[in-house]
Amino acid sequence: MSEQHKPAPMVDEVSDFEVLEMAVRELAIEKGLFSAEDHRRWTEYVHSLGPLPAARLVAKAWLDPEYKKLAVTDGVKASLQVGVDWINSPPTGFGTPSDYCALRVLEDTPKLKHVVVCTLCSCYPRPILGQSPEWYRTPNYRRRLVRWPRQVLAEFGLQLAPDVEIRVADSNQKTRYIVLPVRPAGTEGWTEERLAEIVTRDCLIGVAVPKPGVTANAKRPVHPAVHPVHHGH
Amino acid sequence: MTPSEKKDKGSDAGWQGMDTTPIPLLETIRSRGRVWEDLAAQYGVTNPDPPWRVTLDATCDMLAGDSCVLPSDQVAAGSCVLPVLERRAEEDDLSATIYADVPFPERQLLALAHSLIRRGLIGEEELARRMKEVHERLTSA
Repeated sequence: MSEQHKPAPMVDEVSDFEVLEMAVRELAIEKGLFSAEDHRRWTEYVHSLGPLPAARLVAKAWLDPEYKKLAVTDGVKASLQVGVDWINSPPTGFGTPSDYCALRVLEDTPKLKHVVVCTLCSCYPRPILGQSPEWYRTPNYRRRLVRWPRQVLAEFGLQLAPDVEIRVADSNQKTRYIVLPVRPAGTEGWTEERLAEIVTRDCLIGVAVPKPGVTANAKRPVHPAVHPVHHGH
Repeated sequence: MTPSEKKDKGSDAGWQGMDTTPIPLLETIRSRGRVWEDLAAQYGVTNPDPPWRVTLDATCDMLAGDSCVLPSDQVAAGSCVLPVLERRAEEDDLSATIYADVPFPERQLLALAHSLIRRGLIGEEELARRMKEVHERLTSA
């Protein structure tokens, strides 16, 4: 076998966690908590999701002022042009469970920066942005961002000038958000595809800004909450 | 939080907080199980998430019951097996305590199993039996 045709490496052992996931799922199906068919359809749908449609929405808005107007006034309608139908695409036919159908696109300006959080749990615009990163789910990020947004953004490497206002958008069951960042200098004449490459997931959440040459999210350390809140106590 | 502020229509009894007492079966998995980041490093796999992460998320979504198939304001109280908001709050509690040293998404999986067992939706012993069967199946080739 030539070097070019070597199979991709794979994990060649069965972990307890893999077994646990399967056992929980099988028991839930046997007990009628949900059907195998619904689970399969949902899994296929979730597999199809990722951040590319949201990146394309931003790139398109940068290039087309009319589309930008549509994006900031009707995010769901604008999503259709990047292949995301919030209402009809998911197997449910009305949006994803608890994600629902309302997307708001928050437009940054040189003096206004938006950043998205879900203070209560981990609501995320999955139909257009895929699965949320681990740090987004943590109480540490969720609690501290609303209290000290400037400092938290600085921890992500995003230093904002004191005269830049920061607005934190708190996701909820009916409204999900993505950020439309300012188009960076040095991208003049770029195509939509090339622009979309620099609109990373972190840019769309608002903890980073697009930069020519940066096409991947930085690895973030995850910290526990210093003062864990115990619900119901 | 008033009921109208809840994100999902939960169980009739309402959510009472999580019992974070360790469950022996899950403790064994926590202490013995090999997490994805270790397996991926050992085998040179670059995928940041284990293959089962998506099926786990789908299971969580499916357990949200009617909220998977109806808009929120049409979901009948008590119709969700495990409402999203309650599951995530329980996961937060467990992640801050007994599963604090477990990485994600293994932590999410342990928390889900913990919630299901504590709610009596699945039994610890039947889960142990099923895990044994699944393991035998997966390693029988």
